[in-house]
Amino acid sequence: MRGRIETASMASPESPSWLSARRPAGDGRLTVLVLFLPPALLLFTLFVVLPIGEAAWYSGFNWNGFGRPTNWIGFDNYRFVLESRAFWLALRNNGLIIVVSLLIQLPLALALALVLAERFRGVVALRMLFFLPYILAEIATGLIFSFVYDGDYGLVASVWRWFGAEAPHLLASTQTAMVAVVIVVVWKYFGFHMMLYIAALQGMDRSLIEAARIDGATRPQVLRYVVIPSLYPTIRLSVFFAIIGSLQLFDLVMPLTRGGPADSSNTLVTFLYNNGISRMRVGFGSAIGVILFLICVTFAFSYKRWFMRDE
Amino acid sequence: MNDVEAIRPSFNPAVLYKALFLAVMATFVLVPLLATVLGGFKSLGELRVNPFGWPQHWEWSNYADILFSKRYWQLLRNSLIISALTVTLTLIVSSMAAFTFAHVKFYGSSMLLSYLTLGLLFPAATAVLPLFIKVRDLGLLDTYFGVSLPHVAFSLAMSILLLRRFFKDIPYELLEAALVDGCTYINFFRYVTLPLSRPILATVGTITFVNSWNAYLLPLVMLNTDDLYPWPLGIMVYQGEYSSEWSLILAFITLTILPTVILFIFAQKHIVAGLTAGAVKG
Amino acid sequence: MGRLTDGVLKRLLLAAATLMVFVAGAAAETTVKWLHIEANPAQVKIWEEVARAYEAAHPGVKIEMQFLENEAYKAKLPTILQSKDRPHIIYSWAGGVLRAQVEAGVLEDLTDQVKGYSDTITPAALAAFTQNGRIYGLPVALSQVGFLYNKELMAKANVDPGKIKTWDDLLSAVKALKAAGVTPIVAGGADKWPLHFYWTHLAVRIGGKASFDAALRGENGGFEGETFQKAGVLFKQLVDLQPFQNGFLGLKNPQAVGYFGDGKGAMMLAISTVYHLQRALAADKVGLGEDKIGWFDFPVVSGGKGEPTDTLGGITGWLVTKGAPKQATDFLKFFISKDVQTRLAAGNFLIPVVRGGEAGLNNAFMKQIADNLAKSNYHQNFYDQSLGPSVGRVVNDVTAEIAGGSMTPQQAATAIQLAFKQGN
Repeated sequence: MRGRIETASMASPESPSWLSARRPAGDGRLTVLVLFLPPALLLFTLFVVLPIGEAAWYSGFNWNGFGRPTNWIGFDNYRFVLESRAFWLALRNNGLIIVVSLLIQLPLALALALVLAERFRGVVALRMLFFLPYILAEIATGLIFSFVYDGDYGLVASVWRWFGAEAPHLLASTQTAMVAVVIVVVWKYFGFHMMLYIAALQGMDRSLIEAARIDGATRPQVLRYVVIPSLYPTIRLSVFFAIIGSLQLFDLVMPLTRGGPADSSNTLVTFLYNNGISRMRVGFGSAIGVILFLICVTFAFSYKRWFMRDE
Repeated sequence: MNDVEAIRPSFNPAVLYKALFLAVMATFVLVPLLATVLGGFKSLGELRVNPFGWPQHWEWSNYADILFSKRYWQLLRNSLIISALTVTLTLIVSSMAAFTFAHVKFYGSSMLLSYLTLGLLFPAATAVLPLFIKVRDLGLLDTYFGVSLPHVAFSLAMSILLLRRFFKDIPYELLEAALVDGCTYINFFRYVTLPLSRPILATVGTITFVNSWNAYLLPLVMLNTDDLYPWPLGIMVYQGEYSSEWSLILAFITLTILPTVILFIFAQKHIVAGLTAGAVKG
Repeated sequence: MGRLTDGVLKRLLLAAATLMVFVAGAAAETTVKWLHIEANPAQVKIWEEVARAYEAAHPGVKIEMQFLENEAYKAKLPTILQSKDRPHIIYSWAGGVLRAQVEAGVLEDLTDQVKGYSDTITPAALAAFTQNGRIYGLPVALSQVGFLYNKELMAKANVDPGKIKTWDDLLSAVKALKAAGVTPIVAGGADKWPLHFYWTHLAVRIGGKASFDAALRGENGGFEGETFQKAGVLFKQLVDLQPFQNGFLGLKNPQAVGYFGDGKGAMMLAISTVYHLQRALAADKVGLGEDKIGWFDFPVVSGGKGEPTDTLGGITGWLVTKGAPKQATDFLKFFISKDVQTRLAAGNFLIPVVRGGEAGLNNAFMKQIADNLAKSNYHQNFYDQSLGPSVGRVVNDVTAEIAGGSMTPQQAATAIQLAFKQGN
């Protein structure tokens, strides 16, 4: 049975060779399998899967990275990590970022999305403006804000001086450093979540709203009972990204505080970098990596299980 | 006058609140950025007393010195090479694999797919130490590939899933008919799938490019000669050298994020679609 | 037959000559990669001139210089050493970090290459770069840690630096300065190592050489012992007076040095090279002139077992990494020669290690430092380098934490001892 081939929709201008040539038996299925699949699998296994296994392996050694690991110490590295004050501070900080993201950043993004999902003059420009921080590199953002927060030349200092007080060094105080970092996180990422919500809002079924209106619902009621519930899937996704993103935070923190002062603004990854790479304590750093891996995987699995439908 | 009043809707305070809200947020976003751009035009002394405002005296030398320095263009060149390499490899490798998963039925296909989704669960940062050791053992430290290959590997999961979904959308009957006509899978891939998939390929390419262009951790660990540094490493070295000379540093930052901003202005739709589609479809 | 051999001979000679040029040409282009942390452009300029002079005298060799800031250098060095493209000449503060590098096998054994030459260098300095009898690098400078002070600001508060002899004197001086509205001390707390000078020097004063050696052997509770606890306690006394400039925990060392050079603080506990460095890093690029800046040695602690002549400071130098071309060592010998050292000493950039180099010192300040170092029987190398890469950084961490108020002296000492026991 010959199927009709929609040549019209195809991009290739001339008649492809397969239309004319007679091919011998064999549709090249095996060739595809042998040729197309291995590169991806090889790269993935070599650079993603193996390293995690190796991290678990290296974490049992006291090793400075030269030669081969020889000094087996079992679970001691994990004990050192759990006993280290910096680790718990990093964990607390990651948690803090997550909480602030969920309680401040996401609602903010949602509010903006509701305002900007409409059509009016300049709405596209505004959306782009708010999205801009997201596409800037984290490292550049961190540097920009290390200027903003600078105690001498910074914008914050300038405003403070205008009010007549001595400018605070926000990044130098263990109390305020993390707060300063969190503000930068919000600045950078709220635009991303906003765009997610806008896309969802624009794809929403208008008839639901009309139906509610006809039933006499007020605008706040429509918002609460129709619009937001229809956004639940997107909100869930947004939360997922916020949490995974928070766990990975590194580039942003380094130019601002390098994790200091006194580890008060450490995140799990800066903690890993400062100890594992800067001091080449490969075993210790790998242990941190494994712990971070377990956190990520546990989170991803439980999230998928509880909130998201399987693909 | 009275008629107009009658039909004109009453003034809605909500509009005012919305406008205020937008204005506050816009300021929040713009002020740091503008201060950075303008700061590069000021002398250090002026920067201290006038960080927000328009430069009273335009110091062109800050920007000019950087623009005419070999260093700046070398950084951009390195970034371009690494990103182009990463995008090319990612697109090639993931489209091939995605096609296989989409159309070729073989034993273990779903198992392998689940295997790949593992890659979505954790970031490269967790494995950065063993990655460093492995790249070193492969002799790829201080090479573009040493940075590119791990990036490609880690973006494979997302790319393959995205592409596979899109490829699957191409009607199966099309493939069936082609096969009956004697077309091989590979030719179908080359002449049908790829041309039809330009949008999704552009999307995946964009996400990969932006992530690679902005990357800091992996290049930081894998590259040690400043000849090879991409711009994120470059600005940190620059800042280390000129620690308190903020006007110089701000000029440098502005010039290095300029490519990103320009790209954004010209490819807005793609970037937004790409970065959010990655989220929604994932 | 004569004509035939003539022609053949000529051709053979031509071929041989061409071959020789080829071989010589191929072997000639060597690049020596030199990684340094010198932030003072005036000194870098002289180094560049020396490099060019060497290149002129040795055609076919190119010296390539690369700069990394101090703290960034310390953080990146472990990864740099793993690369096969690593630099050939790297900066070093000797100590435990050098020991770790030797054990890792990343350094070139220079003993044979420097035979004869090594006699020109003061033995104590050379010893710092010798491990197990083999030489792995060459020292280039000596330095001492002490208090630099701003004469004008001290006068403003009526503090006589000459009278600051004991730790209590220092505390009183700080109080007087604060009362006069002057920032007593400038410190680059963000980099942490400037703060560890306080703790370390206190330990040197309290326990002297004996204490440090005993701690290394694990005696008297190691680094948890009395000496180090007391060092933390005394440091805390200073910290409690809030002597540092506002936001000191966020200021990196180069910025702090610039701050001091701008005349914004009265004192700075720093390496003697800052005397010169502050001029380059000050905002006006002039800094404090010779008549405006002074020096006093770190105060003694009453009841301390350390000698007043004990010094804390560095023996710094250059190492050659494994696999580097012979020209790297050759260049180093050229660089650390009497001529160059005398020239650098004359510029007041360093206290030389080459015998006879001190003749170049023409500045009272530098001569005083050289004198101090010569008189010292116990020159303690910076802890963060002498204790090895990992323990050293812990020392930096904990002193910064005492300064920030987030750790007690007791906790600090315990942390160091713990890290020391964990090794590596």
